Formats: sequence, structure tokens, C-alpha cells
Amino acid sequence: MTSYLGNFLLWLSLFFAISQFFISRKSNEQNKKFISISVYGLLISSVSSFFLLMYAYVVSDFSLVNVFQNSHTTKPLLYKISGVWGNHEGSMLLWILVLTIFNYFIFNLNNKNNYFFISKCLETQALITIGFILFTALTSNPFERTIFNQQDGLGFNPILQDPALAIHPPLLYVGYVGFSAAFSIGVAALKLSEDKKIPWHLYMKPFVMAAWSFLSIGIALGSIWAYYELGWGGWWFWDPVENASFMPWLLGTALLHSLIMVEKRMLLQNWVLLLSILAFLLSIIGTFLVRSGILTSVHTFALDPARGIYILVFAAILGSYSLYLFGTKSKKFVNSNYFAFFSKEGSILINNILMVVVCLTVFLGTIYPLLIEALTSNKISVGEPYYNSTAVPIILPAILIMGIGPILSWKKDDKLKTFKKILPVVVLSALTTIFIFLIYKSYSLIGIAGVFLGLWIIFNNIMILIKKLKNYSIGMVVAHLGIGLMILGITGSTVWQEEKIIKMKINDNIRVNKFNLVFNKISEVEGPNYVAIRGNFLVYDNKKNLITELNPENRFYPVTNNFTTEASIYTNLLGDLYSVLGEGNINSGWVLRIYYNPLVVWIWIGAFTIFLGGVVSLRNNLTKLKSLY
Amino acid sequence: MKTKKLIFRKIIVITFFIFISTLFLKNVIAVEPDEILKNEKQEMRARIISKNIRCMVCQNQSIDDSNAPLARDLRLLIRDQIKDGKKDYEIYNFLTDRYGDFILLKPPLKLSTLALWFLPFLFFIIGIFVVFKYSKK
Amino acid sequence: MKKHILFFPSIFFILILLIFFYLLTIDRDPSKVPSALLNKNFPKFETESLLKEKKFVASKEFKDRIILVNFFASWCNPCRIEHDFIKRFSNNKKIKVIGINYKDNPKKANEWLKKLGNPYSNIALDKNGRIAIDWGVYGIPETFVVNSDGIIKYRHVGPINKKIYKKINKIINEN
Repeated sequence: MTSYLGNFLLWLSLFFAISQFFISRKSNEQNKKFISISVYGLLISSVSSFFLLMYAYVVSDFSLVNVFQNSHTTKPLLYKISGVWGNHEGSMLLWILVLTIFNYFIFNLNNKNNYFFISKCLETQALITIGFILFTALTSNPFERTIFNQQDGLGFNPILQDPALAIHPPLLYVGYVGFSAAFSIGVAALKLSEDKKIPWHLYMKPFVMAAWSFLSIGIALGSIWAYYELGWGGWWFWDPVENASFMPWLLGTALLHSLIMVEKRMLLQNWVLLLSILAFLLSIIGTFLVRSGILTSVHTFALDPARGIYILVFAAILGSYSLYLFGTKSKKFVNSNYFAFFSKEGSILINNILMVVVCLTVFLGTIYPLLIEALTSNKISVGEPYYNSTAVPIILPAILIMGIGPILSWKKDDKLKTFKKILPVVVLSALTTIFIFLIYKSYSLIGIAGVFLGLWIIFNNIMILIKKLKNYSIGMVVAHLGIGLMILGITGSTVWQEEKIIKMKINDNIRVNKFNLVFNKISEVEGPNYVAIRGNFLVYDNKKNLITELNPENRFYPVTNNFTTEASIYTNLLGDLYSVLGEGNINSGWVLRIYYNPLVVWIWIGAFTIFLGGVVSLRNNLTKLKSLY
Repeated sequence: MKTKKLIFRKIIVITFFIFISTLFLKNVIAVEPDEILKNEKQEMRARIISKNIRCMVCQNQSIDDSNAPLARDLRLLIRDQIKDGKKDYEIYNFLTDRYGDFILLKPPLKLSTLALWFLPFLFFIIGIFVVFKYSKK
Repeated sequence: MKKHILFFPSIFFILILLIFFYLLTIDRDPSKVPSALLNKNFPKFETESLLKEKKFVASKEFKDRIILVNFFASWCNPCRIEHDFIKRFSNNKKIKVIGINYKDNPKKANEWLKKLGNPYSNIALDKNGRIAIDWGVYGIPETFVVNSDGIIKYRHVGPINKKIYKKINKIINEN
């Protein structure tokens, strides 16, 4: 029953998407009613199909293969719900849902003056939606029926049962799919004839801002999950899946900043159009890389060449269509307004270029093993050390410029005056850096550079706030502050990480940083769908005051037959004490791995601040857009 | 028999998911206390080398982070060789002779990886050049 | 601005997609790694033998004939799956089948062979897995074809199936 209804809704949404596509091609006022029926119909049918699947998960309806494979009656409710998008098929349904919501937002922007433009956007958006609905219905149908009656599901990977991971995909998809709206607007702008001038960049910016903000927080949540759940004390591994989300983020960052150039100076219009197309194409290519099985990655969803070929064909259609359009039509957007190298334009442009270069580098690193394999039948690995020695050195100058860019004026700025303006910040950052290193007495070049750059960004933005320099945007200042905090966190946790691996018996103690850990006891505990061995460690500070207790666990999930380690973490603003329990027994002791990760929490605070800045900017963008009406 | 084929496919899918779930298990402790060398400098070297060596069984993970038995064997081997006074490059060569370049997380500079290493910097230079060209006028 | 520059992105994009397409359609397993020892001399070793009192000396065993080297263990389930194919190889008079018993308990290995039949003409013991590392083994079962000059011609990772069986036979006949 659920299966029939679900399939019906899926095909119904396909019907509405197709009708939207054809009606919006002929954009005359009389069609408006039909377009609105299609848009609403599409929205309602995709919302209901999504919630139908969610309902099936909540009531454990094992007549669906998807529910049977990914759920279990004993699973906690939160994870039953997040189980909907915790697998390939269900996540495609979420992807479609977000697409149709953005579709609705674009439609809502229409008025008498921009009707032609909006209908062009809706045409492209409908094309994208058709592609994804067909993909889901034909290759990844979440409403497929089970052949036999199933008593209970196969369960759900326990390592995915984590609150951060539960909300990570929806946020990430808002990011990816938000770029679809920018893509549609970009394509529509290319199609506009010269006589119909429309400030398309004002339409594009809120979508880019939303996509970028949600992508930022989505990526951060993925890292939080990796940090808390995987138990190696790290939070970023340059894994293909992470790269797949990082690349659109980098292009999104470039896009966001060049949109400012269009807004203020009408510069770089064709560059912005190209970026808006590429950002979404990269989101699709990322999906392809992750879900086609072409790469092996720790996060791989499923290996099915049919899916891969479908996405590839779809990407080829969208890509060649939009990029060909770019090739033929973008010439008219060339604008040669004047600006000097030492100016706001100059700094934004350099940052733009650097972001794109980093993106190209990450892309190169991700696909290079594939290239080598295709051309030489040999195999190589491109891992973290590669990115650390290529991408990271390119990011550093970008951060340096990021501090000074907002202070510079448009067109041209005076070097001496600027120098005087930033001198206090330079001195303050340098002194604070020296001060920090005198206290911690741990010298490393990357550490010094990282701390200095982090402080440099933070102090510059504080200066902007205090001096009320020019008409700055508060969203920008907040987001930049977030980046500064994040840099401090990243530097602290990578440069000063301490690690101890030891075997401990009951009552043994170990010193890590300024903490003293005492192994208090070990016990067996029973959770809702697992059993575990739990170590109990008392943590004392220098003055022998009890600060906290750490309870790392080794869990066993009988349903999926999985062992997992549950790290126990004591967090404060200065650093995390991170403990993982290993194997052992009463006689010889238990293996314990302890990290002291300084400043980790600032990465998350920074990411959240970035998100906040994005949301504030989003509000300003929307107000600006509304003032057009 | 179409249904039979379908059931078969489903079994494959299910075993695959089970297989994947084992891939996900990158937990438990990798470096064990009994592996650690007494000499701190040597241990540091061993850790750095291990971080650059890929765990062949687990994909996208260094042997320093992996608890796979082969990763442990290789970690011990690296430590033995360090104790024997081998240089870092000799250890890397030892491993690539047996497992190929695939085992290095940082690909070596060769004719085939020239583009991988130099393109980023080429992009960088082109980018800066473009900015200069556009801004001067 | 020159006009053709504007078409670069589309050309570049299509090129990348073509490479992806090629990789998707060819028969490949992303989790398998080609051997670094192909067309090189086999790594020499000396160790105990599971079957004989005498020491296992590789340079003496690997002579004059094509050798099929099979890394196996009694605890390894896929090894059980491919065992019938190994037996079929042992019937081939052109070749000699050598087993290398990987990180196993000799007693259990003997029981395992008694139960399933012994296709190996001699078995080397690799108690700590050191020999396997020299051969670049990363997941047993693994099978190598060494020609009569002691050069490694082929390596397969994972259990042998019909397709691989045919492939190995072809390689044996070519050498």
C-alpha cells in the first residue's frame, strides 16, 4: 500500500515538473495560472512523498525494501526519522524535496516586471527537478516493495546514530541544492536579451548566500560527527566525500564575493555566471563521485554502475547546455570598469582566484588517481599529506588578504594611509602571537602563522566594528570573525595536539597536559540497542581538584553485529580531553588512548558564527531584493 | 526468472551493506602501547612515516589510524627498520618496492604525477597574472 | 576578450565526463591494486615447511617450472571458496602449486587440508606475515603466477572464480 502510494506521488511530482518545464518555456501572462498550479503541485507531491517515507520509517513499515534494509524496530525514534536520509534512496527524496522548495521560492519572486526572467529560471529548475525525480524513480526508488513479509529490519549502522549526523545531510543538501537556484538564475540571465535588463545578481545573491551558509554549517556538522564518533581525535581527513562538499563551498565563497563586485561596480558579470554554473555542476559531480562507486571511500553509499551512468548523462546534459550557453552568450556581459590592483576590487579578485585555485587543486587531488588509472593502469593514492602541501599554502595568502580587503576602498586606495590604518592591528596581532608562544613555549612555523592569521582576521574585524569604517556589512564582519576563530581552533588542535597511548590497570594514573587521569573502574552497561563495556576515569587538575569523569565505551550492536568505540570527551574553551578505550582485561589492564586537543571547540564556534553571519547577510539581501518591487 | 534475479540482486545489495558497515568501523585503537619505541625521537619518526603510509586494506586511511592487522605489521616493520638504523627514504623505498606507489599517501614526484604537483602552482601563477592584467588597464 | 576562451569551460567539462564514463564502463574494481612485483623476480625466502621436515627454500622450489603461489590460511573463509580451483590447478602437469600458509596455526592448517584435500606440492609457513609483506600481499587469498625464470607474471587478490581460473590458465599457457 505504502509502496503504491509512494510511487504514485513520485510519478505525480514528475508530471508536475514536466508540466512546469513546458509551460514556463512559453512565458506569457496567461500561463501564469498553470505555472502556479505546477509549482504548488510539485511542492505538495514531493512534500507528501517525503513524509510518507518518514511515516513508513516511524511505524517500521517493512513492506518497503528501503525501510527493511535501513531500520529496525528497536531503533530510537530520532534515528528512525534520520534514517530516511541516512541511505542513498531516501536521501534522493530529500534532495528532490529541497529542490522543489527552492523552486517554490523562485516562483514566489515573480511580479509583472520580471515575469519573463522568472519563468526562464523555473524552466531550468524544472529540468533539474525532472532529472532527479527520474533518477530516483528509475535507479534508486525508495518505495520499492519487499518480496517476502519481513519481521524486522536489518538495522542501521550504529556509527551513523549520532545527533550531528542526523541533521548533517539536510543542511548539506540545502547547500548543494541552493546552488541549483543560482544555476537556474545564471542560465536565465544568459538567456535574457539585451533590451530586457534585469538586476539578476540581486536575485542570485540570496540563494547563493543561503546555499553557502547551510553548506558551511553542514560541512562543520560532518566534521563534528567525525570528531565525536570516529574516535581518532581528528575532524577532517580529505576524504573524497569531504572534498565533494568542500569544492562547491570554495566556489560558493568565490561566487559570493564576486557578486559583491557585480552589485557595486558591475564588474566580473561573466565570471559570476560561470561560477554559478560550475558550483552546481560540481555539486552533481560530487554526488557522482560519491555514489557511483568510481572511487572507494569510507563513506561510499552504494556501488551501482547504472546510477553512475545516469548521473553522468544528466550532468553532461546540464553541463553542456549551460556551458555552451555561457560560451555563446556571456560576451555581452563584459564590462571594463576601472580599478587599481591595490583596491577592494583587487583584493576580492585575488581571493576569488585563490579560492578557485584551491578548488581546482582539491579537484585535481580527488580525480588524479582516476586519471592515472585510466591512462596507465597503475594506481596511486592522494591523501592528506598532498593537500597539506598544496592546498594549505594557497589558502594562507588568501587569509592574509581577507583581513585587509574589507578596509580597502573601491577603485583605488592609498598604500600609505592603509598601512597606517592597519598598523595597530599588525602590532597587536604580532604581540599577542608572541605572548601566546611565550606562555606555551611550543614553536612551530605553521603554528605561528596560523595564530597570527587568526588574530589578524579577528582584530581587523573588531577594528571595523569599533571605528565604524565605511558602510560595512554586519553579516560580513560576523562571518569573517567566524573564520578567524576557526583558524585559531584549527591551528591549536593540529599544532599542539598531545597524545598518550598506554595500558592501564585499575587505580593507575596518567598525566596529559595539565590533567591527571585516574582509572577508577570498568563496568558493563546496557543501552537501548547495544551492550557496552565502560571505563570510568577521574580527571584531576594541577591542584588535585576533581574536574570531571570520562566514560569511554566499547559498544556492541547485536542487530547489525557491529563493534564501535564511543569516545568520551571533556570540552572546555581551552581544549578537549579526548579519551578512547581499547582492548584489555582485568589482569593485564586496558589500553587507553588520550588526546589533548587544544582549542577544538573554537572550530565549531567559528563555523556557527560563519553560519550566523551568512544568515544576517541573507536577511539584508532579501530586503534589498524586496525593495525592487 | 525475473523474481529470482531480483532476490539475488537484493542479497548482493544486503551483503554489500554489511561489507560497507565493516568499512565504517574505523575505530578502536590503532597504535598499541606495546608497539611504541622507547627512544622518543625514533618513535616520532615512526609516527610520521606511518602517517604517510596508506593502509592497503581499509582505503583512505593511514596505517597510523588503522587497527587492521596488516597495518600493525607494517607499523612494527617500520619501527624495526628504524631501530636497525635505516634512513626514512630507505623505509619508503622498501615499502614501495613491495606495494607500489599506491601505498604512499603523498604521491612521489614522477613523470606521471608532474601535473598533480605542478598544476596547483601553475593555476596560482596564472590567477595572479590575470588579476594584474585586469587591474592595471 | 578573445571569444574562444569562453568555450574552454565546456570543453574541459566534457573531457572530464568522458574520462569518468570510460572508467565506469571498463571492467575494474576500485578496491584492487596492481602488484608492484609484476615482471620482477620473485622475492626469495627460507622458512619452515608445513608438509616436510626439511626447510622450505624458495630458490630450490621455484625452478624449471611455472609456479602457482597461493597465500592461504585455515581461518580465511574466501580461501575455502577458491579451494576447488586450486585443486584443479594441481592436476595441471605443467605447473607446480606452492602454498604459503599465512599467519596460521600449523595444526589447524593440517586439519583444514585433511578435510578439504591438499593441492599443494609444498607449503611454506609464514607465521608472522613477513613473507607476505615481501610479496606485497594485502589481503588473502592471493595468487601469483611465477614463470620458469622466476619472474612474477600475474597476481590476483581475492578468491579465484571461474573467470579468473580461465585467465590464469591462459597466462600459464602463454609462458
